[in-house]
Amino acid sequence: MSQALAVAEAPVEQPPGKQDGRLRRSFDRNWYAWAMVLPTVLVLGVLVMYPLVQGIFQSFTDLTESNAQDVICTKTLGGGEECRDNPDSAEFVGLDNYVDLLTGARGSFWLQFTNTLAWTLACVSLHYGLGLGLAVMLNRKMRGRSLYRVLLIVPWAVPAFVAAFGWKFLFNPRFGLINQALVNLGVDPVEWFNHRWTALFAAICTNVWLGVPFMMVAILGGLQSIPADLHEAAEMDGATPWQRFRNVTLPGLRPVSSTVILLGTIWTFNMFPIIYFVTGGEPAGQSEILVTGAYRAAFEGVRNYSLAATYGVLILSLLMVFASVYRRTLKAQGEVF
Amino acid sequence: MTRLLPAGALDPADTTGATASDVRPGRVRGREDRSRLASIALHGTLVLATLVALFPVLWILLSSFKPANRIQTSEITLIDSPTLDNYRAVLFDTPFPTWFLNSVVVAAFTMVIGITMSATAGYALSRFNFAGKRGLMWVFLITQMFPVAILIVPIYTIMANAGLINTKASLIIAYCTVAVPFCAWMLRGYFDTIPQELDEAAALDGLGPFGTFYRVILPLARPGLAVTAFYTFLTAWGEVAYAIAFMQTRDNLTLGAGLQQFVPQFNPQWHLLTAGSVLILIPAAIVFFFAQKHLVAGLTAGGTKG
Amino acid sequence: MSTSVTFDRATRIYPGSDSPAVDALELEIAEGEFLVLVGPSGCGKSTSLRMLAGLEDVTSGRILIGDRDITHLRPKDRDIAMVFQNYALYPHMSVAENMGFALKIAGVSKSDIDARVLEAARILDLEPYLGRKPKALSGGQRQRVAMGRAIVRQPQVFCMDEPLSNLDAKLRVSTRTQIASLQRRLDITTVYVTHDQVEAMTMGDRVAVLKDGLLQQVDTPLGLYDKPKNAFVAGFIGSPAMNLGTFRVEDGQALIGEARVPLPRSTVGALTTDRVQLGFRPEALVPSSAEDAASFPVEALVIEELGSDAFLYGNLIGDDLRADHVVARVAPRSVPAKGTKVWFSIEPGRLHAFDVETGDALPTD
Repeated sequence: MSQALAVAEAPVEQPPGKQDGRLRRSFDRNWYAWAMVLPTVLVLGVLVMYPLVQGIFQSFTDLTESNAQDVICTKTLGGGEECRDNPDSAEFVGLDNYVDLLTGARGSFWLQFTNTLAWTLACVSLHYGLGLGLAVMLNRKMRGRSLYRVLLIVPWAVPAFVAAFGWKFLFNPRFGLINQALVNLGVDPVEWFNHRWTALFAAICTNVWLGVPFMMVAILGGLQSIPADLHEAAEMDGATPWQRFRNVTLPGLRPVSSTVILLGTIWTFNMFPIIYFVTGGEPAGQSEILVTGAYRAAFEGVRNYSLAATYGVLILSLLMVFASVYRRTLKAQGEVF
Repeated sequence: MTRLLPAGALDPADTTGATASDVRPGRVRGREDRSRLASIALHGTLVLATLVALFPVLWILLSSFKPANRIQTSEITLIDSPTLDNYRAVLFDTPFPTWFLNSVVVAAFTMVIGITMSATAGYALSRFNFAGKRGLMWVFLITQMFPVAILIVPIYTIMANAGLINTKASLIIAYCTVAVPFCAWMLRGYFDTIPQELDEAAALDGLGPFGTFYRVILPLARPGLAVTAFYTFLTAWGEVAYAIAFMQTRDNLTLGAGLQQFVPQFNPQWHLLTAGSVLILIPAAIVFFFAQKHLVAGLTAGGTKG
Repeated sequence: MSTSVTFDRATRIYPGSDSPAVDALELEIAEGEFLVLVGPSGCGKSTSLRMLAGLEDVTSGRILIGDRDITHLRPKDRDIAMVFQNYALYPHMSVAENMGFALKIAGVSKSDIDARVLEAARILDLEPYLGRKPKALSGGQRQRVAMGRAIVRQPQVFCMDEPLSNLDAKLRVSTRTQIASLQRRLDITTVYVTHDQVEAMTMGDRVAVLKDGLLQQVDTPLGLYDKPKNAFVAGFIGSPAMNLGTFRVEDGQALIGEARVPLPRSTVGALTTDRVQLGFRPEALVPSSAEDAASFPVEALVIEELGSDAFLYGNLIGDDLRADHVVARVAPRSVPAKGTKVWFSIEPGRLHAFDVETGDALPTD
């Protein structure tokens, strides 16, 4: 923002005659920058900003599949069409959707909210923890390092829905490998999808499997960007390996960590296919998270577009709050991104 | 955690041993070596992790060669009267090949369009100071937060009005909105690591901004572009929410939506699913192995710099 | 084909900053001249050079090459070649491609490019490396490729931005002379930026000293050394640096430690306070004895014996204003022992005086 201000103020200090030349030069220097971002800006404007505004607007109406049309047209006997205003067309309903959703009158927002929290917290902390552990191991000189690295990234190449089906297959209560293994170990088989938390557990397993490689690669990059002489200096200072890890490695990783944790949280929060395919909400919607709940509202049964939009606005608000708190915390600790 | 530590530090006897005069040279251990125990622990953990990473894929691969009725048994067998029947069924008795083609077209177009847009935008963000730059960067970051849920209905309406519902174009456009902001952000970070002096040298050598971008920066940004391409391809290849919502006729489905049809609530056809999954993994794996050697370099340079 | 370069009150203010990075720079560089811009980091020397190259906007004022106003021309239209500090070689091109790139962009025919690249490579001893990528070259070779890229262009002006700072000390000295002689041979106007005053003194026809965006003085190397216009230039030019200290003045004599050093009449006349900033170079100190009223004792702390020279670093004894370190050149191979008290006086006519407030040089005739 300060950039824009400075540009806007600068000509004021100039004698009036010079202004044109200055603006022209600014354009001369900037037109290609604008040309380069223009396609992206257009696409984002039409397909992100506009829908966003529309979505927010819809959340204040009672728009559903049945009242989406402004006019209802019926075929007449002569083959023509007769149109009249839809008496039930969508209306502005104020905060009704929000009230209904938050009080539980419609949908099960709070159940999905706790599911989402548990899901995000478990996934992100496991992603980061396992990713960090593997990255630290892979960052050491050893035989077969590049082979390990390639093999460990494999899950990343697996599309989410394939992973979801694959793990659903493994978790299948009747013939899934996991239950078979349990039986062979003398443990009773688990009906994974008959209970809220076991269903979520299955989904979390899938997502962790899927997401660790990204974290690992990102952290590995961060590790390699820490200058080796920092470690050597700490070693000369008599730091034990654990102290070096705490005082050199972890702080050195902070720029990477803060970014991937933020992105990871946002992505996991909005992770659709895993829950949708692995648990499918079983049992009876108990393992639904907010995003899948919204999707079902929008595209299953009578399509309730306005309720889905309300979900969307709430999810977006939650994430914005999280991101700004997160950013403020980092800033308070002297980290700016 | 002990396996993470240099062995010398863990084993004081080692250092004293190394300085003792009677130690044979062959036994002196360098700084980088670790004790046998630490080595076993390190490799053991990594082997275990690798197995976990590979196993689901391998299991599906193995299962895909089992006859349909043998997949759904409760015995554990790795190989059970292997057959290609599942593949035959998927390829000839289902619309799978059509879905596959749809997905390839959608993913390829998303990749090309997405890369083009995000590379130019990322370059502008990295190199030029123009009014609205900071705002744009924020929009890019915040776009990551938009849940599918809030955009999907309005985008659905836009596509419907434009007559694009049930076409591949609708998916390509929708996927670009997901992929471009992130990729532009990532590529900006990558371009930042290319010294600005190269641009300046190019300017003195007589190139304009577009020439500099095309002839100097793009060739140098190949690793970053590879990662970004990989990312956009996988985004499109693996997306399902838009695909299920936008594609209505069975022939127009992409893989994500199509595969779901193999395993309905009742009477799921797991044998088709396993064979189909393997076939889906192949192109992803190909793209992946092209991109993987650049993955570490590209991501670390780009994705981690905010 | 060489031309003059003129900075006409050229000013650069960065957006969001109040103080100019370069403040109304006025500088005329003659045809074929080798001008060095020198100063501490942040003094605006690089910014000045980049303004000339067109890599930095000129906020106000003009820059001319010959009679041509190039203030707002794009870099490629200025007919300038530049050698960057980190060389900025295109990593994806071979040495030959790097050197010929500008010509290729300009549409010069392939055979001409090859001929000119080969010619430059011959001058710079780069022939065996033409097919290599920059990554496969040593630091010195990369530096030469960067030079070659500039030479091939046959430009009107060379800009060099600390081209030697990435070389090791020994290579830097030899390359220094190579660049200087190459420039004489090609007779192309050159603006050279460095923070190293030794480079500035050894290479430049003239040297411009900058500080905080302001031009302090332009002169030949010796002119700067012998007649610094102010205390900053006096302290910046020369190694070891000139001794500078502020002393009280009584009856036309400066009190340096126990010594009473008579000041020239013109200096005393120009004084506005009872203090003066005096400067004397290490070699202007001559050994003396306690009997001389104008000599002062120095306690030797460190002796640097270089073989051809020796320098004594010590404390001024009994100085009430500043007990700063004093450096004196002493005869090598018979140096005083550490901790001894040595008497010095200042060689007549080699005393510099500066105003305490402004730092401007005072007359010493």
